[in-house]
Parts: sequence; structure tokens; C-alpha cells
Amino acid sequence: MIADRMIEQGTLTTQDGRTAVEVRIPWYRALPGSCIAGAALTVDGVAAPEGSLRWTMNNRTFSFEELVDETGEWWFPLDSAVLSGDLPVPDSQTEHEVRVDLKLYIPYIITDHGVLHIEEHDTKTMKVAQR
Amino acid sequence: MTSLGTPIQGVTLYSFTRAFHSRQYDLDGLIRKVAAEGFGPGLEVIGFSSLRGFPDRIDDNFVGQFRDLVAEVDLVPTSLAVNVDTGIRRDRLMNHDELVEYMRKQIEVAARLGFPIARVQISLTPDAMESLLPVAEKYGVTLALEVHADQHGAHERVLALRDRYEKLNSPLLGFTADWGATVTGFAPSLLEAYRRRGASEELLGQVVDLWNGFYVDGPPNTQKVHGERFGAFIGLAARNGRPDLGIDFAINGTGLFGPAPLDTWLEIMPWVRHVHGKFFGIDETGEEPSVPVRGLVRQLVENGYSGAISSEYEGWHWNKWQDPFDIIRGEQAVQRSAAANAGSAMVTDASEARRILNSHLAQPVRG
Repeated sequence: MIADRMIEQGTLTTQDGRTAVEVRIPWYRALPGSCIAGAALTVDGVAAPEGSLRWTMNNRTFSFEELVDETGEWWFPLDSAVLSGDLPVPDSQTEHEVRVDLKLYIPYIITDHGVLHIEEHDTKTMKVAQR
Repeated sequence: MTSLGTPIQGVTLYSFTRAFHSRQYDLDGLIRKVAAEGFGPGLEVIGFSSLRGFPDRIDDNFVGQFRDLVAEVDLVPTSLAVNVDTGIRRDRLMNHDELVEYMRKQIEVAARLGFPIARVQISLTPDAMESLLPVAEKYGVTLALEVHADQHGAHERVLALRDRYEKLNSPLLGFTADWGATVTGFAPSLLEAYRRRGASEELLGQVVDLWNGFYVDGPPNTQKVHGERFGAFIGLAARNGRPDLGIDFAINGTGLFGPAPLDTWLEIMPWVRHVHGKFFGIDETGEEPSVPVRGLVRQLVENGYSGAISSEYEGWHWNKWQDPFDIIRGEQAVQRSAAANAGSAMVTDASEARRILNSHLAQPVRG
């Protein structure tokens, strides 16, 4: 839907082997944590291990397992969330290719196959900053 | 004989999703822009899109600011679009009591903000609507269930709701008619977007042929037929070596471009309380090439409709090369021209709009 805006340009940061990037919702309306069903963070073709991924929104940090039951915190369309994971990125002046994959449930569209989910991805090139 | 209707011109902020999402305009700035452009007087907002903290954390300070702003720029709140998020939990769908409370909280915010209508959605069954009637009465808000492609005015689920409305006989239960249910062609601007993604002319020709075939066959009256059509678009993309476009073809071809005839709206016309003037683009002749805006406005006028029409531009999903404000301006000009051709006029004056909306709806909002 608005997948071209998912990755915020220039927000790639790294520190002590953990790397993070800011992510915008690729949808027109707010969704709660329970509808943020999975993500992947890949830099220069290397993906952060799934279990190491964390999601930060509204100043709270969640594992994806914790998001499953989270119906109180919502990702508002104007807010950047932060996706982070274990991924060493060399601190250099070179450009890095950042890819984010995101799976979202759309809670008001119930199909014959259950609640509709969408999978979106975005790729952008940027330098990394040390936090 | 029914006297001619005078629909109220308006817009939903959904039309400007890209401008809001990109932080080009905040809510205050966008409402001021709508007023300054003369896109009102009707103003529709989607709670979960525009209102941070909706519905649980809308405080009185925000409510006051919103009401003051709308009064200052002389717009008329028409509909707050609320969502029936039945699938919010991962382990199961909401039960009946949870759903009623989930909707109650949103309807209460509609009343507090001064919206006389809450747009609700098709996953509410006739039983759920009956359960929500006391909520509508408590807050003085009309519940207008949106009839949207792939449903339409003569769909079995819509007729079941209509029959329950008839039995309950409350002016607070009705429909929002979304023009996307009665489209006459696959939107050319979306074909252009696929072209820009490398789709061949032959493939696009097949997409158009498939959709035109469904248009000739008529709209899906059951979920089973809808599912078969959805699958046909996916199969077509796969056979042409572009499986990556299949879901997109299917979602848009069935969920945005509904092929029902205009007269299907007559099945529910007496219960239509609000209209989404859904459209996808304005061409070089100044007309909407795939939504019969002129026929739809004429039909509303001739059936005595004097509620609001929220212009709802949906081409922003794929059209990144044209300005949505220019496109809304173009579509509203078509609406005004169509109303004049039908012997009436769109209401563009805020005071007149308030007066007409108050008589169109059962009761003014008490919030």
C-alpha cells in the first residue's frame, strides 16, 4: 500500500553488534501490536537472526512473541517504530543496502481463509551511524 | 413523486493518505487545507488513521481543539469512519460482547467530536447491528454500515441487514453507499501503474478482458463466486509469468472495482444515510473514466437523497505522479455538474449543509 515509505532514509544505526532502522507503517491506519506478526531485517544480504529481533514503539520494546497478545499499544501512521536485531555492520563510509520485510494482519478483513494478512517489503541504500 | 435531493459536498481525509502519512500535513493542517480549497463543507475522518490514541485515549482537550478548529474553518463533520476489528486477536475472533464494547467506545468518540454518523463495516451481522442499536440511541449517532465492493446493494448479506433494519424500524440504522461497488471499468490509472512496473500490454489487455467479463456476468451475489473471481486474477498473472502481480490484480479487481449495475442501489436507497463518492482518477477530459459519477449523482438526486457525499479518492495507492488535491477538485466539479444536469445542486454552503443534514438524519448529535 505505502511500502515505498517503510524504511526511513538515513536511520540505520549500529552499536556493539546490534543494528536498528526506523520503520513506518505501510498501511493507512493504526494497528495494535497483535497485528504486527513478523519482520525481517537484512543488511547487505545478511539477515539478523529471527530470535534477536526486537520491535520498539511508543517507547516500549517487544519481542515478536510478546507482540502477539499486545492489543493495548498501537502503531500510529505518523510514528516511526524501530526494528533492531543482532547484526554487525562495519562502521564505514560505504553505502549499505537495507531491506525490511513486514507481515501485518488487517483485523477488519475476515476472509474464508481467516484474518487477512499482508506482506510488504522495502529496500533502501544508506550509510550507518554509530549510536 | 419524490422531490429532488440536494446532496452535500464533502471529502474524507482518506483521500489524502499519502500527504498525511508523509507528514506533509498534520491533522490540523490537513483540515485547514480542505476548508481553504473548498472541498467541504462535509468532513469525514477515519478514527484509526487521523486520531492518535483512538478510541481509548481521546481526551477532552483534544475534543475541544477539534471542535474549535472545525467551527473556525466552517466545516461540517459528517461521518467518523470506525472499524470492526473482529480479528484483532491472534487466537480467535472477538466474541459478541467484546465486539459491542469495541464499537461502543468508537461510537462514543464520534459523538464527542460532533460526528452525527459512525461508518461501520460489513462484518457486523444483523444480530450485531440490533445489539448496537441501544448504543446508537444512547449517543445519538446514526450507524451507517458501508456497502463496499465486493458486496453491493443487492448482495445477500446486505439484503439480510436491510430486512433487519426494516423490522427494527429505527432511523439510526442505515447504510453508507460506496461507489466502488458500481464501477464500469478497470481504472486506467492503475493499468498505467502496472505498466510502470513492467507489465506488458498483452497482460494488461487480458486483465481488462477478465474484468469486463465479470462486469457482463454481473456482480458476485455470494462469497463463493467472489472467491472464484479472486482466484481467476491470480491464475491469469501466474500464466503470464508475473505471479508477483497476482494478489494485486485480485485485491483491486474484486475489492475496489465492483461490477454491480447502478440499479442495485435502489434495493437499499431508503436506508442510505451517507455516501462514499469513491473514485480512482480524473482523465484529460475532466471525467472519471471508470466510475459513473454522473449517473450516481443523478440517481441520488432523483431519489431525494440529501445527505453527504464524501469524495473518496482511492487512486493514491498506485498513483504517485499526480496531486490528490487537484484530483479531488476535478471530481467534485463533475459531481456539481451532474447535480445541476439532474435539475438540482450540490450543497456547498456550511449553514445550509447543517440544516439539511439535520433533517436528513434522525436526530442531531448530542455529544
